[in-house]
Amino acid sequence: MGRGAGSARVIATAAATREVADRVRAAAARGERLRLTGGGSWLDAGRPVPGATALPLGALRGITEYVPGDVTLTALAATPLAEIERAAAAERQFLALDPYGAPAATIGAAVATASAGPLAHAFGTPRDLVLGLEAVTGEGTVIRAGGRVVKNVAGFDLTRLLTGAWGTLGVITEVSVRLRALPEMEESVAIAVRDDGTADCAALLTRIREAPAAPWSLELLSPALAATLGVASRTVLIARLAGNEEHVRAQLAALRALAPVARVADGVWRALRACEPAGAAVIRLAARPSRTGELWSAARAATAAVSGAFAHASPGRGTVRMILPGANAEKTTIVLDALSGLGARCIAERVPDACWSHPLLSTAVGDALSRRAREAFDPHWILNPGILGDEA
Amino acid sequence: MTTDTTPGDPLAAVLATIVGERGVIARPAELEVFATDALPTHRRRPGLAVLPRTREELIAVVRALAAAGRSFVPRGAGTGLSAGALADGDTVLIGLNRLTRIIAIDADDRFAVVEPGVVNAALTRAASAYGLHYAPDPSSQSACTIGGNVAENAGGPHCLKYGVTLNHIVELEVLLPDGTLVTLGSADGEREGYDLLGAFVGSEGCFGIATQVTVKLTPDPEAVRTLLADFSSLEDGARAVSAIIASGIVPAALEMIDGPTIRAVEASIYAAGYPADAAAVLLIELDGLAAGLDADVRAVERLCRDAGARGVRTARDTAERARLWQGRKKAYGAMGRVSSALVVQDAVIPRTKLPVVLRAIQEIGARHGITVCNVFHAGDGNLHPNVPFDGADPAARARVDAAMREIMDVCVAAGGTITGEHGVGLDKRDYMGLIFSAESLDAQCRLRDVFDPSRRANPGKVVPLHACREWAAAPGARA
Repeated sequence: MGRGAGSARVIATAAATREVADRVRAAAARGERLRLTGGGSWLDAGRPVPGATALPLGALRGITEYVPGDVTLTALAATPLAEIERAAAAERQFLALDPYGAPAATIGAAVATASAGPLAHAFGTPRDLVLGLEAVTGEGTVIRAGGRVVKNVAGFDLTRLLTGAWGTLGVITEVSVRLRALPEMEESVAIAVRDDGTADCAALLTRIREAPAAPWSLELLSPALAATLGVASRTVLIARLAGNEEHVRAQLAALRALAPVARVADGVWRALRACEPAGAAVIRLAARPSRTGELWSAARAATAAVSGAFAHASPGRGTVRMILPGANAEKTTIVLDALSGLGARCIAERVPDACWSHPLLSTAVGDALSRRAREAFDPHWILNPGILGDEA
Repeated sequence: MTTDTTPGDPLAAVLATIVGERGVIARPAELEVFATDALPTHRRRPGLAVLPRTREELIAVVRALAAAGRSFVPRGAGTGLSAGALADGDTVLIGLNRLTRIIAIDADDRFAVVEPGVVNAALTRAASAYGLHYAPDPSSQSACTIGGNVAENAGGPHCLKYGVTLNHIVELEVLLPDGTLVTLGSADGEREGYDLLGAFVGSEGCFGIATQVTVKLTPDPEAVRTLLADFSSLEDGARAVSAIIASGIVPAALEMIDGPTIRAVEASIYAAGYPADAAAVLLIELDGLAAGLDADVRAVERLCRDAGARGVRTARDTAERARLWQGRKKAYGAMGRVSSALVVQDAVIPRTKLPVVLRAIQEIGARHGITVCNVFHAGDGNLHPNVPFDGADPAARARVDAAMREIMDVCVAAGGTITGEHGVGLDKRDYMGLIFSAESLDAQCRLRDVFDPSRRANPGKVVPLHACREWAAAPGARA
């Protein structure tokens, strides 16, 4: 019983997926290196993949299953997040995944890079939202992991393994995600932060965390970013409150009791996601959440000399994101050097090629287990080779 | 390799030098306690069990097993429901429930660092001083261990709103089967690289042993409301569940308890005051900030009445709330009281399919002449059909097996999965081919090999051996 797929519930493989599998199989046979490209909106992210042929995935587009009553959705990998957002909004639902960058970003890329945005404060990152996926391994084999239901422990968790692997363990071809209902009411506010001093900032963050409020998003904005977004001309914290009307009003009151609060347009979140100009270097710092104030000060100091630089932080996640428009290798290196003694994790999203050799940006997949995973799923090292700083 | 596991196993003496004579169990009578988990239908008695008292002893034990080339099965409290923590032949059982230290609670960053044998409810008790708790709450939480929860990616009623074990583990120290210690994930904020932590959680003891677990702690909600809605048909209750999920209100928990289960509970010491003539009740909990909570309570009440509820009541105080929950959490125990054997399934289905699948389960039960008791996480679509039966009657067992197989087929055909929180273990291993292709199962075998290339950790569990291309071909492959 159960041998092979004889009695299995067969889920059809899209023609476009079979084409990707054929293409990967052919590349594997001749050791051809492939650079996976979905929407093509974020190709300058990650380390360069030298000598690779593009593997376009744009044909993998469309929502394959959406039953609103199940509050789950399945889409082919190159479906733009904006398309999913439109389909879900028609049913008063949404996908709580709002990574930074262009709206052309695809679900497959967001999952492959484990990218998240302000909503991660309340809803987590792709690993918390993805229910299952289909992928093509480095040998051109189509596999499925997880499922389409909201709870699943059947078998070893390839879904989590491939989420955030930047395509190096398999080309993600389809993704199933959990959705959520849109709230009855939504209100966004800006909370004044007295100054940029670590102590003040940390104290406010602590008070907000302990207040009777449960924002969906909470982001600290540097003065330059706050000004660009039309929110303020100083450091502010913006919060997205959502729920039923009574719930939102009570949270507003709770925040008002802590600091001066001003309403801001709901569009601020969309503007924040799109805030980085093309070609900007983008670097994140990460540590435990209680260190956010310290990281924030360090990031502000390190970028002070870079004209036009701005930053935002997620105090709930302990992440600070620095954007350096038009920064060359020299300026970016100065920033990286300044962050070196901090004892925080430094993750580069996009930096000039020459900066990838900076000691702060050493590979996170050099350990024995990661190398074995790579050997197991991409034995010919043809999928985005080098993008994570690993070498065969 | 020898399969002689009499007390003369030479490994016993080696292990005794690490954990002491009293930490090694080799007498068959004393090994009986390890022969089953909470699912009484599978029995496998190990030849040898070892009970380390400290992390250092555990590391030495696993290294000794690696040196001897022996396979092992890690076991927590043995409350599992998949026959996953059973060992036989020359496989050594490693009991972890003596490793019970809560190493640290960090109230600022809301973490706790614990040893694998810490009991789930004990962690919540320790965190309560800080207004925090550990959110995943399996029904066995008064006994089950965090290490076991990690191995199974355990769920529980409150996972509907708060997420399953995976969503609450931030860092693990893992002892690989070859004796190497590795750190997966990070308590120091996000990290790049492969999500090996995510791959490890739910690996059912097949990837190694978590020696230290860093979990997220969740702030206690400001307010809690517990409702009991009473239905005269299972379908009405199922329609209420679908309506609540579709409304966008996310209850902390949304549990269904059907008539046969209610009657078993009410006849037991766990009597919760459920209406004895109901076809089903829904136990619904809403929590969070106090403001706006009662508006959600009213909305849920209305949805239940619209779906045909005969009555909806809200627990007046903590004592009544505890009583309502006790009936739910001890339902499995209450059913176990009335029969010599009990099987339980764990399929998850899309939530819109609840009414049709519940009807099909009733029909299958009636056709095979068995009693199906449904007590389950309705909000997640995570079914738990329980079937009590006479374990001494082989004909009864055959009827139950046939019915269970049909129920699983119905759930899979509805777009579901074979297990939502109990794990595959031995019990559901042969169902894996229903939902995964040979290629997908092979990929799972490869993932296992990343962590345990020698294939000594919990051998023979989760993935059917014949599904793995290389395993099937390997001369040393063992059943």
